Amino acid sequence: MDRQLIETVTRLVMEKLKDAESGQTNTVTESKSQQEKRHYGSVKVWNHVGEAQAPKSVEASVVSESSVSQAVPIVKQAAQQIKTEDAASKKPGISKPKNKEQLAELMKQTPARIGIGRAGLRPKTDAWLSFRFDHAAAVDAVYGTVSEDVLKRLNLFSVVTRVDNKQEYILRPDLGRRLSDEAKRTLKERCKHKPKVQIVVSDGLSSQAVEANVEDTYLALKQSLTALGIEMGTPFFVERGRVAVMDDIGEVLEPEVVVLLIGERPGLVSAESLSAYLCYKPRYGTVEAERMVISNIHTGGIPPVEAGAYLGNVVQKILRYEASGVSLVRKEQ
Amino acid sequence: MRRTHRGMEHIISAGIDIGTSTTKLVISRFSLMNTAGASHVPRIEIINTEILYKSPIYRTPLSQGDEIDMPAVFALVRSEYAKAGIRENEIQTGAVIITGETATKRNAEEMVRRLSDEAGEFLVATAGPDLEGMIAAKGSGAYEHSKRTGRTVANIDIGGGTANIAVYQAGLFKGTCTLHIGGRLIEYAEKRISKLSRPVQLLLEKRKWDLSIGNASDSPIIGQVANAMAETLARILAGQVTAEDEPLLLGHPPNWDVAVEDIMFSGGVSECIYRLEPNDTGGTSASVYHDMGVQLAETLRTHPELTRWRWIHPLETVRATVLGAGTQTTEISGATIQVEHEVLPLKNLPVHRISFEYETENIQDKIMRAVEQALELYDPGREGRNFALYLSEVPHLRFHDVQHIAVSLHEALCRQPDQRQPIVVVTENDIAKVLGQSLQVIQQKRGILCIDQIRVENGDYLDIGRMLHSGVVPVVVKTLAFHS
Repeated sequence: MDRQLIETVTRLVMEKLKDAESGQTNTVTESKSQQEKRHYGSVKVWNHVGEAQAPKSVEASVVSESSVSQAVPIVKQAAQQIKTEDAASKKPGISKPKNKEQLAELMKQTPARIGIGRAGLRPKTDAWLSFRFDHAAAVDAVYGTVSEDVLKRLNLFSVVTRVDNKQEYILRPDLGRRLSDEAKRTLKERCKHKPKVQIVVSDGLSSQAVEANVEDTYLALKQSLTALGIEMGTPFFVERGRVAVMDDIGEVLEPEVVVLLIGERPGLVSAESLSAYLCYKPRYGTVEAERMVISNIHTGGIPPVEAGAYLGNVVQKILRYEASGVSLVRKEQ
Repeated sequence: MRRTHRGMEHIISAGIDIGTSTTKLVISRFSLMNTAGASHVPRIEIINTEILYKSPIYRTPLSQGDEIDMPAVFALVRSEYAKAGIRENEIQTGAVIITGETATKRNAEEMVRRLSDEAGEFLVATAGPDLEGMIAAKGSGAYEHSKRTGRTVANIDIGGGTANIAVYQAGLFKGTCTLHIGGRLIEYAEKRISKLSRPVQLLLEKRKWDLSIGNASDSPIIGQVANAMAETLARILAGQVTAEDEPLLLGHPPNWDVAVEDIMFSGGVSECIYRLEPNDTGGTSASVYHDMGVQLAETLRTHPELTRWRWIHPLETVRATVLGAGTQTTEISGATIQVEHEVLPLKNLPVHRISFEYETENIQDKIMRAVEQALELYDPGREGRNFALYLSEVPHLRFHDVQHIAVSLHEALCRQPDQRQPIVVVTENDIAKVLGQSLQVIQQKRGILCIDQIRVENGDYLDIGRMLHSGVVPVVVKTLAFHS
């Protein structure tokens, strides 16, 4: 694990303990912790308890503080991440494996936590910490929001669903499937009507999936569609959207195909996995069998750039057969 | 090309092995299927291999002097296809391999090239002692055994002219070595020695043993030669080479750095050890070969030095190499690739590797330098000989990195003399489609072939077949070293 991260967390805890002893108020802690907020791969460190505000505002300040807005540092971060992951995956937690080579080979086959060893009946500290780390990343991914920078870079404007906040988003999936009245008006004003393909981005259950992977997927998809001569509508971002929000979009803009790039429910392998849902003429009453999905788009799954390039061909196929999902499979045979 | 429901696709593969003493052929059928989940990008894999036809074991037709009798080989292949009920144009993949001493014949290269051109849609010409060893290990079951048990296995394929050793540990390739150990190194006619091969002559000189043509075929010296061969084999398996072994060593010394645990014998001589073949047709049983094969097999079977290792029974003996060539040489590319139909199939492309060392820095320099090297190596006379570039150790790429690579590749490859040839790029990672599309946006003049998820090494050769219904291409990675 990242040593710097461990140090930061330790310092945070120590400070809290000291504060409690000397009876200081929360405000001091807050201002101190403001300086400590940093990105560590997929986990953001902030003072959950001392914070009076919602994580949303914290994150906004994180972005403005650190200048991670350029594409270049993200690249480095990603490259390093992959390297360290590789290095870590080669080191089994079992001290004296019966067959070292075979164990290494098996561990290479899966991102699952195998060959991590044990201390008595419990996992080893390293394994336990990285498990907690991944769990924290998953929680962060659900409660985070997509930074304005990413949207600005891709020239996406934002609309909202009928959901007001994250809590409601989780409790009321039905509201996440409907656009707000204002959103519908905005789309009518700003978007091309009846395009061949409408690309939509939504945070869904992982804002980090969007931040990490949407840019490359979108650019590669755009290049692919342009090369194939397929016309695109005006792309936009839906905050707190669910997959079926594409039905509402279909009613308003009447595109032939909707491609919805949406953050997947985070797991313990990756909190950054993106999905692309595709549907031919989604409208009210579209059944789920008509939708199709390319999932697992992230650095450890299908690379975002490759996914985008592949999606172009899937769109082409949908247009050719004028069908998607189960109907497409039927027509293909 | 037949295609049944549920997305299964079948292709026919042929394997032809032209060895020192015997020639054989197998026809098999691969079943390809998308094994990825419904919500994933497809992944096409060979999920089943079915042997449709095995030919009898034929004597390799040789004409006078140092040549293979090409018309006879062609006739043999044609009649076997007819027996199997297969036409040339139905063969969509597979390999012709020329092995052992036959590869030293004057017309060996021409032979396999012509056979690969005429005996199938996409049949690959291969040769080279290291490749032989690896293919035999896959055909004999040694590779599977190592993969299943995690043990370190040496497969020793002993034919008429050479013994090809390949070592695998837990399914991972560890090294090869080739020795002049084989049945036909001493030949008999009418109970007299009729031929002593060059390596045996060197061995006799070195040991100061007296044996010459015309001596009786039951001379005790022959036993000593067989014994010397077994001892050399034992030392090589242990990773050692002494001065005594040099006459029998072909090419490089053993290059594996692991301790061998299990050994498996395949090849014609191993048939004399295990007797797996049912009573052979056409009088090809071992005794009528009139050579030292039977005695060599007996010596190997009983030699105390070789009992150090656990002996594993092979699944195939004399047919290991042909089965390996027919069923184990074809790989399937990734499913998201960029391929223009007109440029396929492509044959005998040398591969030049570019390593990005997991960095996005200096990509342009690395590509420029690598293309320069490739031009020097594979097209020194600037005659327009094409090559494939292999991008390895690629870091995670952002979209603009891909653009950058595409532009750099285009610029560097502009220096190839023949711009009508396609640009061929192979990538280790799953990025072929986006890279191919990016190249297409930059230039439309040259055809593009961009495939991924194939592992190759510098100096390998690549054959790429026509695109299948599943949207993938069959690929054979091989060596083309005709040892002299």
